Amino acid sequence: MKLTVDGVELEVPKGTLLVEAARKVKQEIPIYCYHTKLGPAGLCRVCLVEIEGMPKLQIACNTQVTDGMVVRTRSEKADAGRAMVIELLLANHPLDCPICDKGGECDLQDYAMAYGRGMSDVVDPKERKPKAVDLGPTIVLDEERCVVCQRCVRFDDIIVRDAQLVVKDRGHRDIIATATGAPYRHYFTGNVTELCPVGALTSKTYRFKSRPWDLRRTQTSCTQCSVGCRQFVDVRYGKIMRTMTVAEDEAISDGWLCDRGRYNIGFYESPERLTQPLYKSDGRFIQIGWDDAFDLWATALRKAAARPASIGAIGGGRLTNEEAYVLQHLFRSLGTKNLDWRAGRQRQATPGARAGSIAEIETMQAILIAGEEPAELAPVFDLRIRKAVLRNGARVIHASDAARTLAELGSGVERAALIWDGVDLDLGRVLHERLAVIPNLRTYIVSEQPNARGAEAMGMLPEAGGRDTAAMLDDALAVISLFGVNPVRNAPASFGAREALERTPFVVVSELFMTQTAELATLILPATGAFEKSGTTTSFAGDLLSLTPSLQAPEGTLADLEMLVGLARALRIELPSREEVEAAVAQRATLPAEFGFGDVRYGKSYGDEGAPPRRLFSGGGTCLHDERIAVLVDSAEVPA
Amino acid sequence: MPVTKVLTEGIGEVDLRSIEVYRKRGGYEQWKRALSSLKPEEVMEYADKSGLRGRGGAGFPTGKKWSFLPKNGKPRYLVCNSDEAEPGTFKDRMLIENVPHLVLEGMLLGAYGIGSHHAFIYIRGEFKDGYQVFARALDEARAAGFVGKNILSSGYDLEVTVHRGAGAYICGEETALLNSLEGKRGEPRLKPPFPAVEGLYGMPTVVNNVETLAYLVPVLARGWEWFAGAGTERSKGFKIVSVSGHVQRPGNYEVPLGTPVRELLDLAGGLRPGRTLKAIQPGGGSSACIFEEQLDLPYDYESLAKAGTMLGSGAVVVFDDTTDFVKAAYNLVRFFSHESCGQCTPCREGGHWLERVLERFVDGRGLRGDLDMMHRVSATITGINLCPLGDSIEPFLKSVLNRFPEQFEARIA
Repeated sequence: MKLTVDGVELEVPKGTLLVEAARKVKQEIPIYCYHTKLGPAGLCRVCLVEIEGMPKLQIACNTQVTDGMVVRTRSEKADAGRAMVIELLLANHPLDCPICDKGGECDLQDYAMAYGRGMSDVVDPKERKPKAVDLGPTIVLDEERCVVCQRCVRFDDIIVRDAQLVVKDRGHRDIIATATGAPYRHYFTGNVTELCPVGALTSKTYRFKSRPWDLRRTQTSCTQCSVGCRQFVDVRYGKIMRTMTVAEDEAISDGWLCDRGRYNIGFYESPERLTQPLYKSDGRFIQIGWDDAFDLWATALRKAAARPASIGAIGGGRLTNEEAYVLQHLFRSLGTKNLDWRAGRQRQATPGARAGSIAEIETMQAILIAGEEPAELAPVFDLRIRKAVLRNGARVIHASDAARTLAELGSGVERAALIWDGVDLDLGRVLHERLAVIPNLRTYIVSEQPNARGAEAMGMLPEAGGRDTAAMLDDALAVISLFGVNPVRNAPASFGAREALERTPFVVVSELFMTQTAELATLILPATGAFEKSGTTTSFAGDLLSLTPSLQAPEGTLADLEMLVGLARALRIELPSREEVEAAVAQRATLPAEFGFGDVRYGKSYGDEGAPPRRLFSGGGTCLHDERIAVLVDSAEVPA
Repeated sequence: MPVTKVLTEGIGEVDLRSIEVYRKRGGYEQWKRALSSLKPEEVMEYADKSGLRGRGGAGFPTGKKWSFLPKNGKPRYLVCNSDEAEPGTFKDRMLIENVPHLVLEGMLLGAYGIGSHHAFIYIRGEFKDGYQVFARALDEARAAGFVGKNILSSGYDLEVTVHRGAGAYICGEETALLNSLEGKRGEPRLKPPFPAVEGLYGMPTVVNNVETLAYLVPVLARGWEWFAGAGTERSKGFKIVSVSGHVQRPGNYEVPLGTPVRELLDLAGGLRPGRTLKAIQPGGGSSACIFEEQLDLPYDYESLAKAGTMLGSGAVVVFDDTTDFVKAAYNLVRFFSHESCGQCTPCREGGHWLERVLERFVDGRGLRGDLDMMHRVSATITGINLCPLGDSIEPFLKSVLNRFPEQFEARIA
């Protein structure tokens, strides 16, 4: 389709909306209700354009391009219509920009400056509405600022498929509210604050905190689950003010964030963070320096090195790929084969030869879920599943039994996804074998630790003759080093992690907080968090993600990589160079594809009867100190 | 004065709410005939060739509307729009309250004509009596075997569902009506897709007005030639006109289209003694005014459109020289502002702004620049809305601002 926009000729595919076509020639058409992810709604009427041959102004958001169309986005008529819409939007708008969080990044401000009359004939008093409506745990609504674009309502309806937010009342008395009056609460509420083109929907965590021009912005990947959404981190005076979505992140996040990724940021500045190495002496922790810590650690390892099998290391799922690689390299050079990233119930993280990409899930006709819900373990990935259901009418089937699943599936399904939590290896193996009859089966394993797949790929698995986590705990090693794992809380009860660690003579724990596992340590090493370091991680679907530091690490903490370097120096072991590490990471980014579901190399599953379901939103994983996240969940779900 | 009785035949003389009375006068004969000897396409041909146009306001040719339904094997629905709320209109109310069986038979014929097995009627919430009368009539018709499964052993199934609105003018707009019928908020939908393609529950749907569907019965009984023979070249047949305001006998009058406006006034008994005519709204609250010098205009779609107004729902509102046009304008603008669903900016904010300004005028607190501003605002918000409600604000306001500026100027403080 060829068309002309403001004199510029361009060619776009059939079905393209005019508003998107105009973007291609960098011709901005103002929009409030339209959103690329939500589609046209035709409500705000600000995207008016003049189209040759049509007597009335048309809305660019709902006009499909036709061949030979001649469009003027700036003509006397279009400008007058648009200026009127902006004047009307301001007729009841409070103009409290000086105290509005959106001030400085507000579409209404920008468009009023660019397309408005610069004045208004409104002399009558404006409609007064409530200024601070508590919508739920995360969001406060200013009714007066709302321009009723319904983006939030449509987000809840189309994207989340939960339809909690609705428009109530009518006409200029319109207000946004939950349909039932119950608190606005699901896993993705924070996105509405970004969709809101004005300052009506605001995050409780960010209200009145900062102005956009005072923020220092960096872009990194979220490490709170195995999806790894790109996110902006906005920092002021060295503190995180907020995190935001990255719209261009099509491959991973689709431009959304879950509330955990968005709001669980308070722990970085918690006063409870560990900021000095601690050594247990006579049952009490004493503060020591880093040099002493490395010496104590190295001495213990050297003493045990005569019998390398008495040395073990667990961790990697919360480290970067580089750290995981160096970790296994260093401990392997000590002669041990006792390496494992698995500190919880998950046994496997690499989904084999039929691995699917995150975006691919949208095209599926059926989605088979084995084990725990992706909604809990990988919320933003779950939004894609909802999309597949909405778009293709994909069926979601809980696959706990291969035969029953196949029967339920029936014939004619060409594209299906098997999503597994990697816990029950026998189930995974059987499903994988039996479901292979589906022509285009794609497999996914959503992990309980963010970088489980990366750690597995980097070699944090026991090799032949080595012990896995259960065996390491069972055997009571001489020296065990734990990196960002909390087996006391997260490992199956049958591991007896507490007793095992109490029996182990020398336990080293690298952590941000005094966890249940850290309490049992001989030596505690205070670690930096994900926003404080650089490196790469691997998403559950195999995407290589990069971390860029946006915060300065608290004094006294070290990144796990720095700890390993310090230890290697104390042990006089030479580590691979930076270039060698980077090359190894790039090469190993994912494990060989032939690792099937439930591959024997993963060992066996461990029973965990009676264990509570793992829920990301109750502070699952090892994030014990989810200070702000606690407000997001029902009290019953908040861990004690 | 020619008094026409087609749909209004028998009203006020016999109790046509009773199925026995209705059947004695030939009721349900066309339904029986259609089921036994007419193909759906033949019913559609009647609708098409009669030239019957939508009597709800838009005047769209009925046969053409039906023909837009795609042949894709999906279930189709007929929806009878009985959410009559246009200011000054009260003809559908009269029909469902007095001749419910005629309306129902029209619906059955319409549903059959488009090949639908489920018809809905959306009755305005305030029409409690009409709802009860219609629901009773439907029960009677069902008991008589005219509605339900395998009707009169023809093999044709047709179910009818009665739905009551909840008091929103906007639900008279067909897509808002469909949303409301589905249990959603009554807001017009973005088009395309049009209801013929994706309507009720996402299925191909025809929405027809009560009066439109009722006319199908006489069209089938007396032939399309008879119907097309009345009226004008492009506005064929008859129309029930609701005449109200400053006339001696306000009420519904059925006339052939093309009847001069003057005669409509005469039918309604003319003005009260000693009064002079100031303005007439010929097509409900959304229409622009015509004035004394235009009384000879034929009352049909084309003539009124040519005169810059419209026939609309057929509501003729008469204003004499006792009218305070500032108050009249305020009343109507307040109505549209109150009834705006609030989706579109121009309608939501524009209507509310003009309402506040006119409220000041009513209090004698108008400002010097307000008149120009009202012209500017009402004109600019017209034609840029998602549905016609926002475009309904300007016509009457503009008419009276232009014709009676002195009444407004007198209220400037």
